[in-house]
Amino acid sequence: MALIKKTVSAPPEEHRHSARDLSGLLEQLRSDKPDIRRWAALDLSEHSEAAEILCRCLEEEQNMAVRDALFTSLIRINNNAAVKGLIPLLKSEDAALRNGVIEALRQMPDALAPYMQDMLHDPDSDVRIFTVNVLESLCHPMTPEWLLGVIEEDTHINVCATAVDLLAEVGSPEMIASIDALPGRFANDPFLRFAADIAIRRIRGANPN
Amino acid sequence: MHGQPEPVITNEEFLKFREYFYRKTGIYFEESKRYFVDKRILERMAKTGVDSFHAYFMNLRFEASGRELQTLINAMTVNETYFFREDYQFRCMVRSMLPELTAYRAAKRPIKIWSIPSSSGEEPYSIAIWLLEYWPQVDEWDIEIVASDIDTKILDLAREGRYGTRSLQNLPPNLLRKYFKPVGNQEHQIIEDLRGSVEFTQVNLSDRATTRQYRGFDIIFCRNLLIYFDDISRREAAEVFFGALNPGGFICLGHSESMSRISSLFTVRKFPEAIVYQKPL
Repeated sequence: MALIKKTVSAPPEEHRHSARDLSGLLEQLRSDKPDIRRWAALDLSEHSEAAEILCRCLEEEQNMAVRDALFTSLIRINNNAAVKGLIPLLKSEDAALRNGVIEALRQMPDALAPYMQDMLHDPDSDVRIFTVNVLESLCHPMTPEWLLGVIEEDTHINVCATAVDLLAEVGSPEMIASIDALPGRFANDPFLRFAADIAIRRIRGANPN
Repeated sequence: MHGQPEPVITNEEFLKFREYFYRKTGIYFEESKRYFVDKRILERMAKTGVDSFHAYFMNLRFEASGRELQTLINAMTVNETYFFREDYQFRCMVRSMLPELTAYRAAKRPIKIWSIPSSSGEEPYSIAIWLLEYWPQVDEWDIEIVASDIDTKILDLAREGRYGTRSLQNLPPNLLRKYFKPVGNQEHQIIEDLRGSVEFTQVNLSDRATTRQYRGFDIIFCRNLLIYFDDISRREAAEVFFGALNPGGFICLGHSESMSRISSLFTVRKFPEAIVYQKPL
């Protein structure tokens, strides 16, 4: 038979010289070897005080595997500093980085909630759209209310269109009047009318009474 | 006697649930499964004391712990293991993955395969049998199979390798005769050679200190496990697999699972036999 059996053991490179404590890991985060940076980023998930530095590293890091590890640790840390460090990255020109931020914020509902109103009122309509994208999968009971606020107040058609799409899933009957009024705020834009009708049909279908 | 009317799930509600459940799990329910789906949702509604689908769905959708979603996933899925389960992936291993992995490889380096969770051993032994029976180059390479599970009791059962008829139902009779011996009580035991060729180890995927020892794998089978994890644990498991695989190595998930929904670390490979995920070269 060609099948052989070997005991799993730590590989030689595992016998490290550098410490796995906070300062040692932060030093390794500056290594020129992506593999070392990646392992350091993952181990830093056990040090919540590293959140701010992990966010700063995201801005610089070009290696996708290391970047992924930074996000993973930030999601695990899931604190105020992590959210505060991630939100400004929604303005990044780097689409992959932005998508990573959206995905990460979706998994931090409680830490993110206090910042939601500011994000939904950001002067940059792209940031507001990305914030609505975050709401798409955010497990927070205020999500429908936040989306309702968007369709009632936001002045940008694309932000509203993104929000009304989501209300088709999470909206409730008392929101129907606001959804119905939305196209009127944008000269009865035919796409918004279409999206609003779908949302209303979904909500009514779900609640026949 | 006039009680509350029985709650019902409307078509729109079913569609809404189907879309959400698919997005979260990759499991898509055809119309033909409507009765099955409705029944389980209504059961969960009754158990959680909720009398409208809307209220139940809002809880499912926004519960931060994801506990109810997990309970519903458990109710909607069947967790069983048997020899040659989802064997199209084993076919893919011998017809597509291994030929690609060995095409430019120095002959001396063994091929390493990791089966996790191994459960009672049906999967790692199936891998071994497939290699021996259906990979023509099997004698030209050294192959290590490591099989891991979090449960030490199930690992003891796997090492013992005794199986009843339910586990063996998909196994061709000639292979049953070749690799098993009857041990009474309608059970068969894997032959000693094969039992001795799989390394069984206890692994908790959340324990980074342990999982970091798992390196240099060419193929990982991790089927129907991640669906039971929460989002962050799934993501951390993907990091473990990324660290464990060689560049160019492959990971096979269960038929309803998708790595694309978990992590962007891997690329999708569509082989004729199966869709698998690859660590970039």
